[in-house]
Amino acid sequence: MSQLPPVTYDIEYPYTRTTGPVVGAFLTALRDGRILASRCGDRVICPPVESDPETGESIPVDLVEVGPMGTIQNWTWIEEPSSKHPFQQPFAFALVLLDGADTPICHAVRASGMEAMSTGMRVRAQWREERASAITDVYFVPEADAEEQYVAPGEGEVELTEHLISLSFQEDLQPHRERYSRGLLEGRFVGQRSPASGKVYIPSKGYDPIERVLMSESDDVDLPHTGTVVSYTIITPVQYYGQKETEPYIRASILLDGADQPLGQQDIREIAPEDFRAGLRVRAIFRSEAERSVEGMDNRWGSTGNVVERWEPTGEPDVPFAEISEHAY
Amino acid sequence: MSAEAIAIVAAAQTPSYRAYNNTEPALIMRVVNEILSETKLDRHDIDFTIAGSCDYLSGLPFAFVANVDGFGAWPPVYESHVEMDGAFALFEAWVRLSVGDLDFALVAGSGKSSPGTPREIFPLQTDPYYGAPLGLDPVSTAGLQGRALIDAGRASERDFAEVVSRSRRDGMSNPHAQVTADVSADFLLDEPYYAAPLRRHDLPPISDGAAAVLLARGDRARELTDNPVWIRGIDHRIESNQLGLRDLATSVSTRLAAESLGLKSGPVDVAELCVRYSPEEIVLRQALELGDETRINPSGGPLCGHPVMATGLVRVIEVAQRIRAGDARRGVAHAASGPALQQNLLCVLEGEN
Amino acid sequence: MAERCAVVGIGQTKYSRRRGDLSINGLVREAALRALEDAQLGFADIDAIVIGKAPDALEGVMMPELSLCDSLGAIGKPIHRVHTAGSVGASTAISAATMVESGLFGTVLTLGYEKQSDGNATWALGGGRSGSQGAGGSFAPWIRNYITRSGAPEHIGWKVAVKDRKNGLLNPYAHLHLEDISIEKVKESPMLWDPLHFLESCPSSDGAAAMVLTNEAGARRAPHPPAWVLAHAKRTEFTQFPGRDTVKPAAGVECAKALYRKAGITDPRRQIDCAELYVPFSWYEPMWLEGHLLCEEGEGWKLTDEGVTERSGSFPVNMSGGVLSSNPIGASGMIRCLEAANQVRGTAGDYQVDGARVALGHAYGGAANYFAMWLVSTDKEPSFQ
Repeated sequence: MSQLPPVTYDIEYPYTRTTGPVVGAFLTALRDGRILASRCGDRVICPPVESDPETGESIPVDLVEVGPMGTIQNWTWIEEPSSKHPFQQPFAFALVLLDGADTPICHAVRASGMEAMSTGMRVRAQWREERASAITDVYFVPEADAEEQYVAPGEGEVELTEHLISLSFQEDLQPHRERYSRGLLEGRFVGQRSPASGKVYIPSKGYDPIERVLMSESDDVDLPHTGTVVSYTIITPVQYYGQKETEPYIRASILLDGADQPLGQQDIREIAPEDFRAGLRVRAIFRSEAERSVEGMDNRWGSTGNVVERWEPTGEPDVPFAEISEHAY
Repeated sequence: MSAEAIAIVAAAQTPSYRAYNNTEPALIMRVVNEILSETKLDRHDIDFTIAGSCDYLSGLPFAFVANVDGFGAWPPVYESHVEMDGAFALFEAWVRLSVGDLDFALVAGSGKSSPGTPREIFPLQTDPYYGAPLGLDPVSTAGLQGRALIDAGRASERDFAEVVSRSRRDGMSNPHAQVTADVSADFLLDEPYYAAPLRRHDLPPISDGAAAVLLARGDRARELTDNPVWIRGIDHRIESNQLGLRDLATSVSTRLAAESLGLKSGPVDVAELCVRYSPEEIVLRQALELGDETRINPSGGPLCGHPVMATGLVRVIEVAQRIRAGDARRGVAHAASGPALQQNLLCVLEGEN
Repeated sequence: MAERCAVVGIGQTKYSRRRGDLSINGLVREAALRALEDAQLGFADIDAIVIGKAPDALEGVMMPELSLCDSLGAIGKPIHRVHTAGSVGASTAISAATMVESGLFGTVLTLGYEKQSDGNATWALGGGRSGSQGAGGSFAPWIRNYITRSGAPEHIGWKVAVKDRKNGLLNPYAHLHLEDISIEKVKESPMLWDPLHFLESCPSSDGAAAMVLTNEAGARRAPHPPAWVLAHAKRTEFTQFPGRDTVKPAAGVECAKALYRKAGITDPRRQIDCAELYVPFSWYEPMWLEGHLLCEEGEGWKLTDEGVTERSGSFPVNMSGGVLSSNPIGASGMIRCLEAANQVRGTAGDYQVDGARVALGHAYGGAANYFAMWLVSTDKEPSFQ
């Protein structure tokens, strides 16, 4: 049997950082083509700091301009940049001691090749054409490669810096999830019965946490398509980055008959909130075989993929809450 | 720093896997079950549990909550969590037992780095305004540390290759190792640069894994085992978040911790150092003033397997096991956090006699 | 216990939706420096630092002790970071107290913070995906079950929402200062997660809170009266398992039992003068009164209804305005611990409970499966009758 495709997911959010007075002044100056450092005791520290980095003591905001020329104190040549690096061609990360500063800044140097880099070499700051009020507005090049630039000052003081953090992940469906997913595609609910306690979990995590046993394929059990609503929430969606929901909807936990753990996070869109309740008997209506998909299935969430089209009331009498209270989570 | 006598009485670790195709709680459950079965303790004989893990490795906020499944919490347990290597959880467990009212503490560290791209995640450890947007990653900062050593005349690229050659050979006898090889420094030096002066082999593998130890206090330790390994002290220290404010060729924080623990007051037979990048071994050896009498990373160290968040705790286990086996009487384990050895933890261990 | 632990310094930032005037570094320093000033100590007097906050993804900063160490005067010192979901602030205070009690550290700075406005908590709670149910969505069904089980009338939740906001008006650090809060307003605010209305839910705040903890010698040197840590306890259970009582989790019950036993408390509601309970959603006040054995099961809502938990009542709860008035997540539990200390030190300002000598600080987190509690007292060895 062929392996189901791996799970991929992205975690992405555009963080907006308020800068405070020191980082804000630094980024304002950087946007405008200047580099600032802090005077701290008898040292000039670049990039500037809000407090004495050795003692933690407060220092007055006392910023002085440094650079744009500097000296390489240390460097490493990055042959294969990551997608998060400032350059996608080979470049150097370096500690650059800017003229006028006593401590070096760690930043990127664009050079023709590793041979062009050496400790002690002179570099000059260059500004990006499009600046974003971020540390990436600037970079450095060997003195000989530097171009004269006119950097048009921006408007106002920088008080925010944005950082879009976007990370991608990929892993195989774990064996118990693979069998659960395959079961869904075949129109079956596959759970696992703990060999220690006899309790039935769906979707199983592959272990019984209470009895501390790992489970295997021989512990798999099929469960019926009928069950009872044991818990639900009516969600009024809050808008945030990546949110696709706009209208209130129900998310329910449904205890399949014979299971000890409810299937969580079942979206209910077809039953009106006023008709929905704990104790309601429901049946899963599966999509036709051709329409079923477990795309988006992962190793964590209680999803039923794009397999269960909806849950519909069976018309049976409600189950008294006392009978399901053990599973009401 | 004086402390109540607290010992490691049992330990377990999974192998380092390139990609463990099961859950992190399953990894933890395996090591915890191994410890329980070895000591014949019931889960509820353990007074305090603490784990170290990192949500960001799997990209999932609150990932650590599921890990509770692995170490067991029904009926409820007295438990805590640090978003740090398991070695820092060990520190807190040791502090907790030092209060003197509890007997047993369980410590776990676990991580699955395989789903993500550590080189893209770890820049988020650097300064959020000045470092993270540059994607300043641990490989690059290790490259800077390597160059600092070379420029300071403290090491050469050949020294880095020798560290790798010895470590990967030593790893061949470690059943938990992931990447091992019988390779010479000459062979390694022919490889191309990756983050010059580092080559790919100067880097650790990407690993999944878990580790756990059981601590016991005083006589309870002696009741459980004939050869408890006593924790003589744990200390950890940190340095500036700005690389430019540090001397990357040395490790001031490691030296401070070693001094406070009195490491040099006796022989150090074995040292397991958290050497993820080969230059780190040179920095640490010099900071700890370790000479030829000290066997360094007989397990092969993190260059042979780097289950992030367990890597430091594994160093403690490796030292403890050498002491238990009678191969060493006194040793030091080291764990680290942050770019270019920003934060360093030392744990001094001794055998019963 | 090798040493006793005392709170000798307390510092808080002003809490608000967005502290646009500060970096994260500036935020933590505002609280840390105030705590040090209260203790009349400097960073040089601090032996170790313990910080706590909720998931790294809230700010997109991984292992923030690494970027905040300079700002917290931690260079060359031990600093470590606790993370136990919503309970983290109290867990962090307990970790720091343990360090002092061990005798290994003399004076410890502990701090919790969250700069929620840099990111988005609902996004993070939903694992960075669409369709997050938020914390309220997780707790709403259990609250409904509490209401069914106890027979509590629906106005109880509204009452708590009003009481805590009115208390918050007296607290200059509180995020929400809702001058015109009323039962009507709460009840008419939008329903977010049935039965929770918007005004029955906590805000999203930026903020930091810090304490200086020290041993007996340090307490003798302290310029202001200390709050003595009498006892602390933590308990955790699984998030989901058959038989779990989500309304009154066993971990919460056992945590309270352990706490009272350690402190020598036999009749908690009489022997404890006031409490700062972690109540992010109004109904959790009666739920935790019951869940932490401060009253019999089914009686919690009656105490709320009778005004027992008001500042003038016999068992005041959340005198500072509580989580319903300020919620910088990673700090929220520490604020509960710190406000309990404020009460027994007599430094709670306009919301001081007269004669408070023993106070409870509490936090819970995750799926109400993490609990952390501490008891502080004016007296080092109070006698309970």
